[in-house]
Amino acid sequence: MRKVKLLLLSMLVFCCAHVMGQSRTITGKVVDSAGHPLPGASVRVKSTSKGVSTSSDGSFSLSVYNGAVLSISAVGYAAQEISVGSKDFFEIRLSAGARALEEVVVTALGVKREKRNLTFSSQEVKGDELVRAKEPSIVNAMAGKVSGVQITSSSGTPGASSRIVIRGNSSPTSENQALFVVDGVPINNDETGNISGGANGAGVSRIVDIDPAIIENVNVLKGAAATALYGSAGARGVVIITTKAGGIDRKPVISLSSDLSFENPIFPKRQWKYGQGTGGVFYDGGTKKTSMSWGPLMDTLKINGVKAPTYDPYSSFFRTGLTTNSTASISGGGNNSGYYMSYSYLDQKGIVPKNELTRHSLFFKYNARVGQKLNTIFQIGYSNSVQDRLPEGQSNGPLFVLLVQPISWNPYPILNPDGSQRLYRFSRNPPLWDLDNVKNVSQVNRFIPVFTANYTPTSWLTVTERVGADIYIEQDKYTESPSPAISLKGQILDQNINFRQFNHDLIISAVKDFGKFHVNLLAGNNLFSTYNQYVNIKGVGITVDNFNNVSATSTISATEAHYQTRKVGFYSQANIEYNRCLVLSLTGRYDGSSVLASNKQFYPYGSAAASFIFSELLPDQLRSAISFAKVRFSYATVGNDVIGAYSLQTPFVNQYRNGNPYPFQGQSGFLLSNILGNPTLQNERLNEMEGGLEAKFLDNRIGFEGSYFYRKTNHGIIPGVSISSATGYNGTAVNTASIQNKGIELLFTATPVKTRDISWDITINWTRIRNKVLALYPGLNQLGRVIVGQPFNVFYGPRYQRDSATGQLLIGANGMPLVASDQGVVGDPNPDWLAGVTNNIRYKRLSLSFFFDYKKGGDVANEVEGLAFFYGTAKVTENRQPFVVKGISEVDGKPNKVVVNAQAYYTTRQYESSIQDGTYLKLRNVTLTYDIQPSLLGKTPIKAASLAVSGRNLWIYAPHFTGGDPEAGSYGSGNGVQGIYSFSTPTSRSFNVTLRCSF
Amino acid sequence: MRKIIFLFIALATVTGGCKKYLDVNKDPNNTLDVQEDLILAPLETDVSDFIHAGFSPGQGPIILQYFGQVIAPNQLNPGLWSYQMFNTDVNGDWDNFYVVCLNNMKILHDKGVKDNKPNYTAIADILSAFTLGTATDFWGDVPYSQGFKGSGNFTPAYDKQEDIYKTVQDLLNEAIGLIGQNDPIKPSGADYIYQGGMGQWLKLAYTLKARYFMHLTKAPGHTASVQADSALAALANGMQADGDDFKFPYAGSAGGEDPWYYAFGQVSTAVLCSTFIDSLQARNDPRLSKMAKPTVSGGIYKGRTIGTTLGSLDDYSYPTDYYAGADAYNYIVNYSEAQFLAAEATLIRSGAAAAEPIYQAAIANHMKKLGVGQTDIDAYIATRGTLSAGNALQRIMEEKSIANFLNEENFTDWRRTGFPSLTKVQGGLSDIPRRLLYPESEILTNPQPQQAAVLTDRVWWDAQ
Repeated sequence: MRKVKLLLLSMLVFCCAHVMGQSRTITGKVVDSAGHPLPGASVRVKSTSKGVSTSSDGSFSLSVYNGAVLSISAVGYAAQEISVGSKDFFEIRLSAGARALEEVVVTALGVKREKRNLTFSSQEVKGDELVRAKEPSIVNAMAGKVSGVQITSSSGTPGASSRIVIRGNSSPTSENQALFVVDGVPINNDETGNISGGANGAGVSRIVDIDPAIIENVNVLKGAAATALYGSAGARGVVIITTKAGGIDRKPVISLSSDLSFENPIFPKRQWKYGQGTGGVFYDGGTKKTSMSWGPLMDTLKINGVKAPTYDPYSSFFRTGLTTNSTASISGGGNNSGYYMSYSYLDQKGIVPKNELTRHSLFFKYNARVGQKLNTIFQIGYSNSVQDRLPEGQSNGPLFVLLVQPISWNPYPILNPDGSQRLYRFSRNPPLWDLDNVKNVSQVNRFIPVFTANYTPTSWLTVTERVGADIYIEQDKYTESPSPAISLKGQILDQNINFRQFNHDLIISAVKDFGKFHVNLLAGNNLFSTYNQYVNIKGVGITVDNFNNVSATSTISATEAHYQTRKVGFYSQANIEYNRCLVLSLTGRYDGSSVLASNKQFYPYGSAAASFIFSELLPDQLRSAISFAKVRFSYATVGNDVIGAYSLQTPFVNQYRNGNPYPFQGQSGFLLSNILGNPTLQNERLNEMEGGLEAKFLDNRIGFEGSYFYRKTNHGIIPGVSISSATGYNGTAVNTASIQNKGIELLFTATPVKTRDISWDITINWTRIRNKVLALYPGLNQLGRVIVGQPFNVFYGPRYQRDSATGQLLIGANGMPLVASDQGVVGDPNPDWLAGVTNNIRYKRLSLSFFFDYKKGGDVANEVEGLAFFYGTAKVTENRQPFVVKGISEVDGKPNKVVVNAQAYYTTRQYESSIQDGTYLKLRNVTLTYDIQPSLLGKTPIKAASLAVSGRNLWIYAPHFTGGDPEAGSYGSGNGVQGIYSFSTPTSRSFNVTLRCSF
Repeated sequence: MRKIIFLFIALATVTGGCKKYLDVNKDPNNTLDVQEDLILAPLETDVSDFIHAGFSPGQGPIILQYFGQVIAPNQLNPGLWSYQMFNTDVNGDWDNFYVVCLNNMKILHDKGVKDNKPNYTAIADILSAFTLGTATDFWGDVPYSQGFKGSGNFTPAYDKQEDIYKTVQDLLNEAIGLIGQNDPIKPSGADYIYQGGMGQWLKLAYTLKARYFMHLTKAPGHTASVQADSALAALANGMQADGDDFKFPYAGSAGGEDPWYYAFGQVSTAVLCSTFIDSLQARNDPRLSKMAKPTVSGGIYKGRTIGTTLGSLDDYSYPTDYYAGADAYNYIVNYSEAQFLAAEATLIRSGAAAAEPIYQAAIANHMKKLGVGQTDIDAYIATRGTLSAGNALQRIMEEKSIANFLNEENFTDWRRTGFPSLTKVQGGLSDIPRRLLYPESEILTNPQPQQAAVLTDRVWWDAQ
């Protein structure tokens, strides 16, 4: 038998091998660190196409030439290289380790595949890199790092949401954000923490419940071909998170890390010269009130003969933010099991007093091998996240006043002697009063348990069973004291959300070699369900001071709501590799969704992809220069069901009066829903074509990856497309939208210097996406900011008339620009292109990393500036001389010469004038790390220690933007509010010190 | 191998249960049918809040108060008050009229017919007539006969205003006939306004008939005298006392305040306009203190002049709690209006002398309602009570506009008669508007030729 095997093996070797020079046959065995054989490991002769896979007992046999270098790798283990020398038998011991992840990436459904063979684009970010960003949320930590991905943060409030869109927006109003998958199980990333009628502004993206420190790495699957196996939810791209794990036969390692950060706000620009008033006349804000700062020059202003003092509105309100983050973890393993445990505590005290995010995060993972054929992993994550914040944006929040407060106003005392609120103007709360009287607290307790079992009855077959859940309970409370200044009697809103999501996958996969063919087949089934319950209690009219219980209100009402959705999916995949140079990949999936019409619930889709590794065919002289080269093409079509539950019918809906649910004055009230149900609703479809080129040069010192994609949504679902109210309804669910995205993604990596003491790595990514709305609904060309023929989410509003010949403003006889009678498109928030550059430089034990990112174009609607024009606080209003507005006079068609008064001009600016080009260059992160020399640690139990100093947002260059940070989107991660810079907490520049050690 | 077969059997079992597994799309939050009372209650509130008071997300009725120079926000030009209007400004109103009110009124109407509850059908008709009549006076031609068909007609053509007026009268006639059946089933508490007083609903129907007859005094193809005759005939069965007022009672509880309380809230910066305050002061009208509050800063009565620099809110007058208090009534259709309609119709038919006593009674009634003493009433009528052919229409309309304070009828009356006379505001971007623009939402979803209208265009009945 053994002889037969050997014979077969040698025949196989003979078939594959190009005999080069003097060759001989070597044999060997690949085992893991415990000595167990590793079947299916790859043993190759480096820089050639020669190689074999180990058999079920880990053995191999291979013909090599003298001086060859063997490269041995196996999924989940660190690759090794061994010089052949004169030995004929090799026992190669592979250890599980991080380096393995450089070769192998986790793809859809947790399937590990060698990156070189992939037929689609994916990009990895290492856990270390995420931790280095010093962001509580991994989404923010990924910003600018991955091509094809656009990440937009919202306000600077700790825990504020952020948006992640992969390869452009594909749905007019439904979810456009990527799917998050942790160790094979999808998790929820809703924006929560807001209560209807409560604090305005950004909520919390629930991904913040995941501690970045437990992440081994993140792999971003961008195209539909990569994500088709994930089904509908993956159509928008998938972020695959792999958590850290212990390993078999590993000594316990205890790691401790502690961070301390100081944050300083990045303020919008403003004028610091003129005081409160109008027409140059001083208003003191007490006896004479106005919202405007069109008063006198502060330099010359005297009150009662004394020079008037200037008050910095910012310093009276903001503070230095302080973040501490401490992590402790233990990992290790015994004969047949491994473990990883982590606890972290984050406390981020924001730059606005009383703004705070705290997060306790516990994570536990245990993997056990039961016999030789069964591997099991059980893990559970628990987190407790609490966010305290204030209302933001153009609402009754403090910043709506503070950012345009006159510099002549002393904000103290907060109250008048009679106890009423003291402010320089009418109709707003004093900002400092808000700090003590308005509160929005959101607390989430979340569990993410996952159980995975891998059963390998024979070397070529694996059955995987994976059950996971995502369960959280959210408690939100908004309280607002009575305020005569804004005619409100105070309210208390209490909201409980109960969320559960279950996911189950059963996957059978088979791997087998047939001659030069390496075949990988997979079939599986998925069950997925979500349930959401909301219980809201609202109390209006506070009757007891300082008692934040809804019983202390005069009008109390309550509502409940429940939503359940379920999905079922069947999928299969075939990957066929020929001679390590041709790969064909086919996937098919058949989904059923509970939210679609009962006769349209099921829909099939799939993908086909091929890659050709042509470097395998290159002559040897070239191989030294071109180590690797691949072209790939794919086409995918993915069905999607982006609509909430219960959209098929038109029910009667409980009514609200003035934001309070009926009963009103003792009577219940129901009216027919304003959204007409669509009983024929079916799935939408996303089609995508992708081509790519990947290459590595000079022994992998230089790398390049480029992709071009074209994706188009057909039969796009719009849950509430506008229809004429004359139909009796103002919206209905339709299947008629179409949006296209075309893009180029480039990634360059280079290692210009690599010696024992010095190394320098550069990574550059570049993305350009062009987006266009092709159709909404027959006869309908606009849905809010989504307009047919335009890019997604353009700015639309009041604008100026323009001279048709020159495009210049048309100026009226009074010298002022003429306002167009109709509204129109005035800006486009979509960037022309995005780029990020990461540098890692190491000199001995010192390493420096710095990261720039650049956004070219992409307009921002600067609402702060829009109002600051009016209030006379905008920087540009520092020049108050009468001037001539550039433009063409409507009177004579010649350049305008009429002089206008600055205040008259700036107080009548229209929406269009608040649109600014948001181009920026950011030095997003600089980190200097020193690994303490082990000799210095001496006989202490500490094995390794490092000290890092880092800075975030250290420098921002935004030549056309007058706000603070052009990246901020004040109203959260929703579709319709992107690109708006408003009165939300400014983002920060921060400095951080981190100490890490392990025992 | 056996294990694999077992797995496939398990898979097949799961597949079989799929259809059932997915059958969870039944809405647990909303119901597919409700009783008439549950529809009636919110409809009455919505007519009061949205159709009459322009409560958020509407503002049409408040825009008309800017145009009529009764309300002036403490804001700089340009804005709605200086006739800068965008189509988007009335998206909310159009929704309130068509989706919230008219569609549900039609559903209430049909339910009343189906369940054989004629009184509910009649109330739905009267509310529809009021809502539709108000809509056509805002916009002219509006959809009705082709509307409310859901997916049956996504782009309903607009009816001519002349036909809308016929529909309004038809709806009121149907209501009158149905109430005449004296069916014992009628609403009680859900009818916030009349508590099921069908006799009062009947009087409201007749009063509205008179109102809509009088709107057509100068309409093409109509003659003032015929319209006046029809109005007088209807008024014979119309409202007879203040107790018949169609007015919504707000309890004033937190969150349940009168919509005008919010309209004059601190954040809106709305105050009374100088044109309104000055006219009362010029006539020494004793109602001034009953309708307007003195300024906080000076204790005087002062309105804001639109187009001037920003002032202090403490320097302007606000309406009294009688009209804008948290627990004020919202006066939608008043007995006073019926009286002034009678005075105007009588003036047309029989001249100033015949109209004079009706006119005087109308003034006295409104003053009594506000709590003005008899001496002051007598003194005022002594100076303002005499009607001549030269001044009658002007005086009737001026007095009617005071009695109809904050009512959208005043804008219609000004368009019909030119009284109370107005001059364009400072910095006005056009002449005084004679209508509202069509909403942007409608232009986007249901393009119709009428939508090109600009603010100074006239509706059909507003003939030169």
